Amino acid sequence: MIVAAFALLALAGICFMVRLFIGPSVVDRVIAVDGLLMVITCGILVEVASDDSVAGLDTVLVVALVAFVGTGVLARYVERRGA
Amino acid sequence: MIDTVAGVLLVFGSALILLAGVGVVRFQSVFARMHSAAKAPTLGILAIAVGVALSVRSVAALVTALLVVVLQLVTGPVGTHLLGRSAYRRLPNDFDAGDELASNEGSGLDH
Repeated sequence: MIVAAFALLALAGICFMVRLFIGPSVVDRVIAVDGLLMVITCGILVEVASDDSVAGLDTVLVVALVAFVGTGVLARYVERRGA
Repeated sequence: MIDTVAGVLLVFGSALILLAGVGVVRFQSVFARMHSAAKAPTLGILAIAVGVALSVRSVAALVTALLVVVLQLVTGPVGTHLLGRSAYRRLPNDFDAGDELASNEGSGLDH
């Protein structure tokens, strides 16, 4: 189960990386980076579930907050400077 | 039994994240990609957090999983809305059925 979850998350990460490379506009790349941070969040959560160590849970919260702040700042940048 | 349910929830959530990734690669316009990247992972993170809470079974894990879910439910739509607004204002759009937002509130490009 854990291995299957990690494999699916790895495939999702590859998909977001493809969009990060080929994305024609800045907004597409912001979407891709947001998705990658979501993959990282879920990967840490699956890792916590796999070996019952609570240490990763704080990291999950920090990654989720940084993802939101980064998306907001980049959206504001695109809106002020143009894409 | 509980571990099996937790494992199924983890795989289900990861499959939803993969679905979002496939949508982000395959869809044709910015807004379709944003739609795919915003909606599916919300349920995915919810399922994975429930799976973690069922698997670890401690108060700290439960509280943190709840915080992660609430944070995702609050920040996801806000971030996507910010990004969508900037994409609508700054990117050249070709909508299929005309620009209904612009015809509703005048030109959408000045602000």
